[in-house]
Amino acid sequence: MSRKLQNIAFKTFVCIAATISIGVLLFLITVLFWKGFSAISFEFLISDSSNFGSEGGIAYQIIGSVLLTACAAIISFPLALGFAIYKSEYIKNSYLQNLTDTVIYSLNGIPSIIFGIFGLIFFVNLLQTGVSWFVGGIILAIMILPTIILSSYQSINSIPNSYRENAFGLGLTKWQVVKTVIFPRAVNGGFTGLLLGLARAIGETAPIMFIATAFSGVTIPNGLFEPVRSLPTHILSLAQQATNPSALENAWGTSLVLILLVFVFSISAFVRRLQYSKNKQ
Amino acid sequence: MSASQNNIGKCYVLVSTYLSIAIVAIIFVVLFLSSYDAFANIGWDLFSLEWNPSKDKFGILSMIYGTVSVTFIALGISVPLGILTAIFISEIIPEKYRLYIKSAIELLAGIPSIIYGLIGIAFFSAWVSSFFELPTGRTILTAGILLSIMILPTIVTLIEDALHNIPKKYREASKGLGLYQFETITKTLLPIAKKDIAGAVLLALGRALGETMAVMLLIGSIDRIPEPFYNVLNPGQTMTSKLGREIGESAFGSLHFSTLNAIGFLLFLIVITVTIITQLYFKKERRL
Repeated sequence: MSRKLQNIAFKTFVCIAATISIGVLLFLITVLFWKGFSAISFEFLISDSSNFGSEGGIAYQIIGSVLLTACAAIISFPLALGFAIYKSEYIKNSYLQNLTDTVIYSLNGIPSIIFGIFGLIFFVNLLQTGVSWFVGGIILAIMILPTIILSSYQSINSIPNSYRENAFGLGLTKWQVVKTVIFPRAVNGGFTGLLLGLARAIGETAPIMFIATAFSGVTIPNGLFEPVRSLPTHILSLAQQATNPSALENAWGTSLVLILLVFVFSISAFVRRLQYSKNKQ
Repeated sequence: MSASQNNIGKCYVLVSTYLSIAIVAIIFVVLFLSSYDAFANIGWDLFSLEWNPSKDKFGILSMIYGTVSVTFIALGISVPLGILTAIFISEIIPEKYRLYIKSAIELLAGIPSIIYGLIGIAFFSAWVSSFFELPTGRTILTAGILLSIMILPTIVTLIEDALHNIPKKYREASKGLGLYQFETITKTLLPIAKKDIAGAVLLALGRALGETMAVMLLIGSIDRIPEPFYNVLNPGQTMTSKLGREIGESAFGSLHFSTLNAIGFLLFLIVITVTIITQLYFKKERRL
């Protein structure tokens, strides 16, 4: 075959493959929005579900999911900032650097179901907390920790060393330098990571389904150690009754709400990242 | 005042770091201790075929088979498709459309796995069962196909980054030598990006191994290795789907519970190994 023909064949092949994958991804989005919008209404968003979720709305599921992610954010953000600042400003030896790297990458790689099992053994059974939204929040916080740490760390790392030296030269102590020079950047970068982390946390099912949620019969929790309902576990229970058309319709509606919440977080993260890279130029 | 602030500040960052390190250690220890019973009582019989908790038979071979075959199918589809799509986005279409398509694909990477599971149940399993004329569409193949779609955005994004980061001069030099575009791509660009492509595949591998919800809904959850073993049009079970299905039903402290933990522990070890290999490979250049 001549080289020219090969070139054409190769390009056609690439275009076909790209059409397939982009087509599949378009199909997913279309199905979600099309099925979702026909299932959703204002009534659906503000009413309680009934008949195992196949009728009624998803008000308490939304509240539960928001509660879980807010809890995760409050716990993991300060922890991640401290970690990022310590890693970039205080650790001098390479052994500790490698250890912190391994910790971050391991946390990021652990399958989400493993976090669920860990929560079930450690909190629910050993510490006797029972099924609780607070425990779910802690587990989700651990899961999104590496995303926030890395984002914050990268942002601190891009501060030129001369800034630090200038600040020290003015006679500031280490903590004053950290507080005035490092901290604002750490918060700024960490917040982008937080948004990305929350986009992941709000859709996670496996880590919370044994430890934080109940499928029905609970409303707004009165204390830390009570279960909630959540959007992803609601979809799970509806997907298991998929032969029932009204359950399936509610599942599409719930999925659309969940995906819109995910997109709110991830699109704001993209916008922040875009602004940041513009400022740098 | 300043000195004490200095100490409090140092204390804060120190505590956050060591607390995070401790969390990973605690996860490891807790998983190991709670699966110790299974390792001590069942031993090598873990790697046998029969799973029947009421008869104290705990063989996890069929789940290991399920995980390996589902992952194999998923990567077998998504890696070639992902590489070609990345080439399309980075090399073929005009630069101005690149960012739009890429952001759209990155957004898709964030769709929660339970939603993929729902789509799989509503569409894919019906398609598979009517196409292959099967009694049920919940098979190893269905789970593998769905998983390949789930990891496709990750693979495309990472490989596209790798290709796009190659400086323009390589393309210009190769064009100047009179090479066609496909020769530039296969002989110049892909060899340069080889390492990053391998990294992307490893990352996708880690994700595919640990994926739970979509696989659990679609694989059929039957603890059996099909006959013959490559007949993936049968229902099966992965390590993760086993955990998702049964851990809520088993009693804390029982041998059953401990064996499920052992499955989790094995999965943990496998994924951590893959992760650490990826990390060594990349020497911390790569963002997550």
